[in-house]
Amino acid sequence: METWSGFDNPEGVRKGLQNVGYIASDRIANTVYLASHLAKPILVEGPAGVGKTELAKATAAFMGVPLIRLQCYEGLDESKALYEWKYGKQLLYTQLLKDKLDRIVQGEMDLSESIEKLHQYDDIFFSPRFLEPRPLLKALQQKQGAVLLVDEVDKSDDEFEAFLLEILSDFQVSIPEIGTIEATSVPFVFLTSNNTRELSEALQRRCLHLYISFPDERLEREIVRTRVPDITEKLNRQLVAFINKVRQLDIRKLPSVSETIDWARTLVLLHADNLDREMVKRTLNTFLKTQQDIQVAESRLDALTEQTVREVG
Amino acid sequence: MDRTLENFITVLRRSGVRVSVSETMDAVRAVSLSGYEDRRMIKDFLAASLAKSQPEKLIFETCFDHFFSIADLNGSNGLSKERPETPAEPLSAPLTRMLLSGSGGGLALAFSEAAAGAGVKDIQYPHQRGVYMQKLLQMLGMNGLNEDIQRQAARGGSDAAALAKTLESMRDDLIRSARDLVDRQLELYASKRSEEMLERMLNNTNLSSLEERDMIRMQVIVQKMVKRLKDRYSRRPKTARRGQLDLKKTMRRNIRYGGVPFDPEWKSRKMDRPEVVVLCDVSRSVSNVVRFLLLILYSLNEVISKIRSFAFCTNLVEVSAFFERYPVHEAISKILSGDGLDIILRKTDYGRSLADFRERHADSLSRKTTVVILGDARSNFGNSRVDILRYISERSKRLIWLNPEAPLLWGLGDSEMRKYLPYCTLARECSTIHHLELVVGSLLRR
Repeated sequence: METWSGFDNPEGVRKGLQNVGYIASDRIANTVYLASHLAKPILVEGPAGVGKTELAKATAAFMGVPLIRLQCYEGLDESKALYEWKYGKQLLYTQLLKDKLDRIVQGEMDLSESIEKLHQYDDIFFSPRFLEPRPLLKALQQKQGAVLLVDEVDKSDDEFEAFLLEILSDFQVSIPEIGTIEATSVPFVFLTSNNTRELSEALQRRCLHLYISFPDERLEREIVRTRVPDITEKLNRQLVAFINKVRQLDIRKLPSVSETIDWARTLVLLHADNLDREMVKRTLNTFLKTQQDIQVAESRLDALTEQTVREVG
Repeated sequence: MDRTLENFITVLRRSGVRVSVSETMDAVRAVSLSGYEDRRMIKDFLAASLAKSQPEKLIFETCFDHFFSIADLNGSNGLSKERPETPAEPLSAPLTRMLLSGSGGGLALAFSEAAAGAGVKDIQYPHQRGVYMQKLLQMLGMNGLNEDIQRQAARGGSDAAALAKTLESMRDDLIRSARDLVDRQLELYASKRSEEMLERMLNNTNLSSLEERDMIRMQVIVQKMVKRLKDRYSRRPKTARRGQLDLKKTMRRNIRYGGVPFDPEWKSRKMDRPEVVVLCDVSRSVSNVVRFLLLILYSLNEVISKIRSFAFCTNLVEVSAFFERYPVHEAISKILSGDGLDIILRKTDYGRSLADFRERHADSLSRKTTVVILGDARSNFGNSRVDILRYISERSKRLIWLNPEAPLLWGLGDSEMRKYLPYCTLARECSTIHHLELVVGSLLRR
């Protein structure tokens, strides 16, 4: 990972991410750069929809390695995250090989001798061939490296968090039947959290921490421009200013960056080149997702649109 | 490890950011990667490796700005102002010569050496500012400068007088800078320590005598305590019921082995989170304790599964709905003022309140509930209705009584505490935050 040419300096990281369509702030670029040099995971926090998951995807695209994603949820355990034995295959093989096995133990007098004989063939049924790798193990096995995204780690149980520690600090896992498997090349790890609960200090200690908040208006405009190239500059200015005003309102779910993009796409499809009251009213539901929020925004709609148009022009 | 970074980490730790050794090592590697030239880069690097949560990030921001503004003293402090013409007579004191030569860098160096010599870093309390400033100026060689000024003034003549004047104004600048430096050091190194002292004190202050200006600080303390309790009790250990086979689970799990019970599954039980019913006396004498108890209980929503709250004075009403509708703080002040409640705020009547509870809200009691009653049990000589308390006690898992009065006063005058006592699983004095923490802790401990 250290030899990756794109990681020569933070500016290079920023440009590289931009090339794959992710507009990174200086802080994000600096942190990704640092993580690549320290070979440490990044714990990304921030409100929903500011592009935490997107950052991992963009990094993978930029590095040209596969993205391996592990979505966390309550009850997630080792067998779904790390590996599982292929029981069906094991059973099938024992059935198929029944004759062979019979032949091997033929001629042996008693049980212990037969078992002794079988032991010469080692644990054939518990070898890597019968191992079903799950995301974590898969990420360690990628030869050319990978980006591992552990999404919404705060949704998982405490036990699972503790289990992650071994992987995050040593990049190795232990499988009782086989032994310790080390990473062929160290994956670039992102963990994201929505702060539904506080993560353990042990986990925090092993990661670099990055907090992504809503981007400022300039950056958000740039993001919209990259994602929705057809948008006119004027509409872009108005739209981003409007969204930022909505974020100041007393609403339940603040509109995220991805919703700004959705709205921009919608407006472009409707051939709008200017924000007006009717247009906003009709498309409000692209970025406000509860009836209550929509009502709050509608009650202030005139003032909001007017203000925006006056300020931005 | 270089000194600047070490000092910075000390500052962070004192301000309440937990920095572990491994994080320090990350920071060292980060600094070696970036150097100190690019301020923004070093800030981002250190933020990523040292501050691991949003609140810590905020602390980090202020600390970083404070800390590196001191380090920036080098030559940019307005000390090297316009220079007077060379003096007629050689001046003896090194400080004077340094000032007149206008070498900002040299002066800054002298400043930081003097600060280290005077031990300004050890400053702890605001009243020590004077002492440390004197020390600092002395180390800087202020005496020599003063003598030079006097000598110039005594010599007479317009040239000498002008020189003396310039030197004086430079000295004033110098003193001002010294004061700034000491102030900033105080803010950096000492704020945390005096805060800690205050906190210890507030922890044991009687809540009913709490002053308005301490309220905000108190809430911070409560938040810390809530976090501590959450950390301690948020895990739900499973207890295995030894030796009992879980037949259903075992069968399901062993289908993969063709139904041979290869991998038995034992019965286990997750610990229940407590269900709480709180009855709060909202008469004036206990209102502060009520405020904090409710604040704590409702902040603990992750470790308490269900909570219903009732307020009483002359009669009793349920107030749970308030907490659903308003933020916790607002709800509590609404309840205490009796706004929009059917509560009668006259003489406290425990008998009637208990009767109200039994009549209307007895359904809130179950085998799992812990009932917490907060009040001084002073019923103004009315009927105490001990029978209802017994009824409550029998129908709930535990009954905890919190009394803001000291046990010595229980049963004196119109206090019915002695009569209620036999039916309480636990009765505690509860007048300080520390008491509250103990009680809530025992509530969560199953």
